[in-house]
Amino acid sequence: MSRRFTLFLFVIIFAVIGLLPILQMFINSVVVDNHISFVNYQMFLSSSRVWILLKNSLTLSLLTTILATAVGAPLGLLFGKTNLPLNNFLVFLFMLPLLLPPYITAVAWFAILGRGGILSGVLGASVTEKTSSFLFGLPGCVLVLFTTLMPIVMLLTITYVKTISLHLEEAARLVTRWRTVARGIIIPMILPGILLSSILVFLLALGEVSVPMFLRYDVFPVESFTQFSAFYNYSTGTAFVIPLILITFFVLLGERRFLRDKTYQLKTTDSGEETLLVKLGNTKWLLFTVVSIFCFALVIMPITALVIQSASVSTYLKALERSYDSLLRSICYAGIGATILTVFGYFLGYLIHKKTFSLWRAVDSFTIFLFALPSTVIGIGLAHLWNRPATNFIYGTAAIIIFGYIAQYTALASRITISTFAQIPPSMEESAQMAGAGWFRRMFLIIAPLAKRGLAVAWLVSYIFCLKDTGISMIVYPPGQDTFPVRTFTLMANSPTHFIAALCVIMILITLLPMGVLGFLYRVKGLYK
Amino acid sequence: MKNIEFKNVSKYYNLYSAVKDFSLAVEKGERLAILGHSGSGKTTVLRLLAGFIAPDSGTILIDDKVVASDGRIIKEPEMRNLGMVFQDLALWPHLTVKGNMEFGLKARGIPAEEREKRINDILQMTQMEKYIHVKPAELSGGQQQRVAFARALVLHPEALLMDEPLSNLDFELNLRLTKEIINLQKNMGFTLLYVTHSLQEAFAIATRVVVMKEGMVVREGTVKEVKSYFNEKFGHDIDRSEA
Repeated sequence: MSRRFTLFLFVIIFAVIGLLPILQMFINSVVVDNHISFVNYQMFLSSSRVWILLKNSLTLSLLTTILATAVGAPLGLLFGKTNLPLNNFLVFLFMLPLLLPPYITAVAWFAILGRGGILSGVLGASVTEKTSSFLFGLPGCVLVLFTTLMPIVMLLTITYVKTISLHLEEAARLVTRWRTVARGIIIPMILPGILLSSILVFLLALGEVSVPMFLRYDVFPVESFTQFSAFYNYSTGTAFVIPLILITFFVLLGERRFLRDKTYQLKTTDSGEETLLVKLGNTKWLLFTVVSIFCFALVIMPITALVIQSASVSTYLKALERSYDSLLRSICYAGIGATILTVFGYFLGYLIHKKTFSLWRAVDSFTIFLFALPSTVIGIGLAHLWNRPATNFIYGTAAIIIFGYIAQYTALASRITISTFAQIPPSMEESAQMAGAGWFRRMFLIIAPLAKRGLAVAWLVSYIFCLKDTGISMIVYPPGQDTFPVRTFTLMANSPTHFIAALCVIMILITLLPMGVLGFLYRVKGLYK
Repeated sequence: MKNIEFKNVSKYYNLYSAVKDFSLAVEKGERLAILGHSGSGKTTVLRLLAGFIAPDSGTILIDDKVVASDGRIIKEPEMRNLGMVFQDLALWPHLTVKGNMEFGLKARGIPAEEREKRINDILQMTQMEKYIHVKPAELSGGQQQRVAFARALVLHPEALLMDEPLSNLDFELNLRLTKEIINLQKNMGFTLLYVTHSLQEAFAIATRVVVMKEGMVVREGTVKEVKSYFNEKFGHDIDRSEA
């Protein structure tokens, strides 16, 4: 009873925070003067601007997806399946842009390619005219979003490759060489996983607001944000996000329909089974050089450009002076958000993993749907639902930002928790139950200690995503309570480039800090043991 | 004629010795069982022979040719012409029964006509012909076993390595498949190396049994000889018990 009641309570809270705003937006869009009407949609569809925005949004998302998949999947195979030197370090470097607000990568590229950037100092202003016009527009947006989102494909490919049972590969290795094993066995088996990561990249690129806004490329999220924030035009802002909701919904529906049953049950990622690695032989150092150069160009060079541009103590002092309040707030909000998300992920993950009641599939689908939904959609939905005198204690405080985090990022914590639960034998909980332990006792004294590694990872991932959140925070932050990414983004409009570069470097450092702390705990305190 | 030979082979994992100074010769067409508790090193012996891992010291020969020696793999797994049936069967889930069997044949460049003939012949022998276009997940445990045998045998291997493939089956199915394996081996004449922890399975399948403990051979002989060793050791008829 206590189990079902508690889990149901979490589902209700999640539905109120995450789903209600979206539902209300949708209802408002089809109810005109207390009647169901599609007049808003008719007006919307008759506007030529809508079609231009749709074309731009889809072009940007598709190009980013194609590029990210074409590069991320082979890189994932290389890192996950071969003995490439410095494997883990290279993966970490490639992953770095994913951990940062995407516009920071845009600023970093601007520090190289933009007017007054490093390149202009080396090659002259005439060259940077061209590189700058390349950066501002579709190519620049694709470059930045590719850098940011490619790690998703790479990391999921590595994960899927490592879940292929050793014996499935050995059985193939007995009859043929590695290249054919990869073509005939490994790639077909992980293809559904690669496609899933591509879908994720497509949806995240579709919903990205800060990069196209900075690089001045018109897409739906930018338009809806502008309508809502600059013109306070809620109905037009809503109209512009409805296509995003529908695209996200149908893409995920397609994924559920065509990919769900194609994901093969392999082994758990931490089964202790060794992984068969391809020994690269003579090509090892050649491949290492190529990958390292690519990594330098894509990740190290832009970040180094930021560091070079900001390299002065006085700049950092000034940057901290103008942003320390938002910096502290960000760390605080991200910490609170990550903790609440971990709790939500723990209980909703349990519900989904154990299929405790029939709602489990709906809960799973909705968490993923909300994660894939553009942040502007969630932000506008939250603002409209809670911005009223009776609920000002939520809308007028930091609670609204935490609500935004819960709405968008619960899927991250619940997915990580589910994969952790999958590695805990059911007999652990069953034996505690047989010993007479109630559900809460089992959850806190048996399952939580066994899942502590997964919960720590869930907290860290949630923290990073809350910390870098820009889209939701930008829309819902209460007056005087902006977060660090929002403050940086706002200051970008009228501050010198070295000052913005310093803020970006600070953002990178505060993102890496908790990773360093958890890494330290891992080594010294044996957190994961 | 010697088909397989291990000469003073050792394999270490960190400080733990999985196989220690292991020597063994297997005749062509012989049915040999390697018997031992879990952790005795019997699976490591199969993996060394298959070429998935290299011996830290010693030499492994197939048909009098050195395939691995002193930390080096000289002949890659795909060049050794061995078949293997894994404990978890390792059937590729994305391929049909035919796809599973065809993969190795295609990799070895066998022409399409010959491929069809071989697949049909083996499926007929294993009574699986009507499941040719079915994926492994749709088959029962026993049927999956048969497909795993068929996949290994369709390549006409020099030797078939079996790593406790029947351990997860019920007694009746285990008995039936044991008989089928013996029949197939007699008909096709391949060398059989069968790894198991079950005395009954080892005695039912093999003509010779090697007993391993802590990476070393502790007893070797015909079924009768090894049986009497265990009878003496346990003080009762081990035909009625399990290791």
